[in-house]
Amino acid sequence: MKQITNWSDKLGKHFEEGKPLYPFKSLYDAIDTFLLTPKTVTQRGAHIRDAVDMKRILITVMIALLPPLLFGLWNIGLQHYRALGVEATFWQQFGYGFLKWLPLVIVTYVSGLTAEVIFAQWRKEEVSEGFFVTGMLIPMILPPDIPLWIVALGTLFSVIFAKEVFGGTGYNFLNPAIVTRVFIFFAYPSVISGDNVWIAGQPDGISGATPLAEAAMGNLAQMPSIMELCIGTIPGSIGETSKIAILLGAILLVYTGVASFKIMISVVAGGLVTGLLFNIFGEAPLTQIPFYEHILLGGFLFGAVYMATDPVTATQTEKGKIIYGFLIGVLAILIRMINKGYAEGMMLAILFMNIMAPLIDHIVIRLNIRKRQKRAVLVSTQSRQRHEEI
Amino acid sequence: MPKIHHIKKGLDIPLSGTAPLQLDSYSHSRFIISPGDFKWWSPSLLVNENDEVKVGTPLFEDKENSRVKIVSPVSGKINRIHRGAKRKIEMIEIESDSRYIPIALNIPENPDRESLIQTLLDTGLWPFITQRPFGITANPNDKPKSIFVSCFDTAPLAPDYNFIINRQQEEFLQGLSLLAKLTVGKIHLGLHENQRDTIITKDTKIETHYFTGKHPAGNVGTQIHHIDPINKGEVVWCINPQAVIMIGRLFLHKKLDFNKIVAVTGCKTTHNRYVELTNGISLDGLWKDSPLNENTRMISGNILTGRDITQSGAIGFYDSQVTLLQEGGERELIGWLLPGFKKWSISRTFTSWLFRKKSYSPDTSLHGGRRPFIMTGVYEKVFPFDILPLQLLKACIIKDIELMEALGIYEVIEEDFALCEVVCPSKNDCQQIIAEGLRLIRG
Repeated sequence: MKQITNWSDKLGKHFEEGKPLYPFKSLYDAIDTFLLTPKTVTQRGAHIRDAVDMKRILITVMIALLPPLLFGLWNIGLQHYRALGVEATFWQQFGYGFLKWLPLVIVTYVSGLTAEVIFAQWRKEEVSEGFFVTGMLIPMILPPDIPLWIVALGTLFSVIFAKEVFGGTGYNFLNPAIVTRVFIFFAYPSVISGDNVWIAGQPDGISGATPLAEAAMGNLAQMPSIMELCIGTIPGSIGETSKIAILLGAILLVYTGVASFKIMISVVAGGLVTGLLFNIFGEAPLTQIPFYEHILLGGFLFGAVYMATDPVTATQTEKGKIIYGFLIGVLAILIRMINKGYAEGMMLAILFMNIMAPLIDHIVIRLNIRKRQKRAVLVSTQSRQRHEEI
Repeated sequence: MPKIHHIKKGLDIPLSGTAPLQLDSYSHSRFIISPGDFKWWSPSLLVNENDEVKVGTPLFEDKENSRVKIVSPVSGKINRIHRGAKRKIEMIEIESDSRYIPIALNIPENPDRESLIQTLLDTGLWPFITQRPFGITANPNDKPKSIFVSCFDTAPLAPDYNFIINRQQEEFLQGLSLLAKLTVGKIHLGLHENQRDTIITKDTKIETHYFTGKHPAGNVGTQIHHIDPINKGEVVWCINPQAVIMIGRLFLHKKLDFNKIVAVTGCKTTHNRYVELTNGISLDGLWKDSPLNENTRMISGNILTGRDITQSGAIGFYDSQVTLLQEGGERELIGWLLPGFKKWSISRTFTSWLFRKKSYSPDTSLHGGRRPFIMTGVYEKVFPFDILPLQLLKACIIKDIELMEALGIYEVIEEDFALCEVVCPSKNDCQQIIAEGLRLIRG
């Protein structure tokens, strides 16, 4: 252990200012602190600190992403072989999905991290870990057959224009993973929408529409059972299909205290309430689906658990989180019901509420301030009265 | 039956190394007074090296307010004045002559407000009174709306004030009734629920309030916030029970001394106990029998707000506790991935939450790199104020005085943000940020 530390220290000297390798200092620091915990001790203020740091929090999010990811990989294979009408073993199916996913994730990480490292070095900062989660999220919300250059382009766009231009992780106001998806959706709609993108290697003539798309078209008869929706053996992006796997991740996130329970619950509550209202007053086929089933359709639950809870782009006040989450749920279902062209409203709802989050926070902060001002006024009139009595 | 304030938001850090209730006396010939103990003072020296001093001889005064002076706690000789960069006075070292020779004392029998203030200023007991907002030495020209005394401490490994107050109950009550003359309002006594009926007073100006719950229930800032919060323009004074006892002793026994009881706590259990000593004393003698490990950080105060005194080795002016802490900095291979059986964290991201231990012995490692504010809702769990902690910190960082005031900066000082700092996953120095904000407002 000591040897590794010494070796790392020795190597580190070459990256100091004025040394030839200085331009790569951020990269060295990133790898160094990735392999070894930092040796810094408290200098001022509290003498001990909680053992948790951003690396630990983000690795927890990545672990929480594993259940939907592993299920999703298998499901890609399952959908592929099912569409072909070919029998395949579990490992064949999983292997197929894994090989579809691997290039996607490599391209995402390479393109995103390159941009991150360049910006970190430019700003003379440590490379922030934020992208590790973003990089894992991006392939999970894209179709499996999407061209890799589009993935790279989308990732670079979101890292640079949604995050780094604002100052990097912690300063961005839009969720980078969603920006990637929205960018691809608007720039290259054909690769990410329609009925023929969600099953890998789909043969012609077989519909690969997601249950949500089927419902939006009015084919309610094609709808899978609630059981199937929960387990997730349906076409869709890697992460979104299995609600049980997402729930497992959600439990881990809430239990470790990494993601906000308030946001998750209020998104679902917002969705349920809106779904119920449409059940009562709506006439279109989509509104006939019972409100609780809407929660299980599309990327609603995946967005609620992994995207809406991103602490940087969500509201930062505790009261604001409830309003923020609720409105995401409302908007997502509203878009789904009203927007005929594109039923998957979750990403747009989250993106819109990302923009609204500072406004919600502003209101909550103002209310807190007003309470304090009222108290001060009360006290000053009381003391004036006391003064007059004397 | 008074109302009990239950502090739900907060955190009791389970550390090992409390002091057993066993009191020893302790003496040493070397005393050190550090002007750094007095917040925002610009000290102006009143003595030179090799001067003879008595108990109560002024050592230095504050340039801003020359009525307030720091005096020598012992009689002897000024051994050395340590100066740092730009000739800043860092320490005044006094060699005690092991005798007790006080300055000439003129203690009025039944003082009125002005003569009480003057006596406290002359005897050097005044600086024990601090004011809120800002947490600085009280200005004798102010008229505080009330005075707060917290009679218990909930910080990690904190001393048991029952143990301290009970043996000097008479002096304590005498001190309280004197202090009552200083304010037009009340003296608010913050007591823990289990201290019921330990302090009985008939003085109507003294009001008792009961608290229970997690740290910072014992912090005077938390108590002020829950009893009578500070608004802009208001001033309240705070004083530690040990200083109340010193004031009581001065008037009751006509004796000026700076003796207090200090809990020695922390990692090396052989040292843990309570010792009675004189303010400013060097603590070297405590570790004579079993010397401290080289990698030990000596802290005057608790691990949240204490000062690193490894250099001077002397007890701080306001502290009733010494904590010994193991220095950290050991590097760990892929620590962010390891299960972390022995790691202490309030998040449940380490497996240690599965096997909650009763107490931990953490070291001084920072456990991570500095990051911008990323997580939210973490501070709120440990911050029992009706104040938005993250937003107030951000207001301090952007130096927006108006926003800081609106968000309640007058109600807090550094120590109130100590727990936020401990739990911050982005490793921000919250106390430093608040200190800079307060300094900016004070101008």
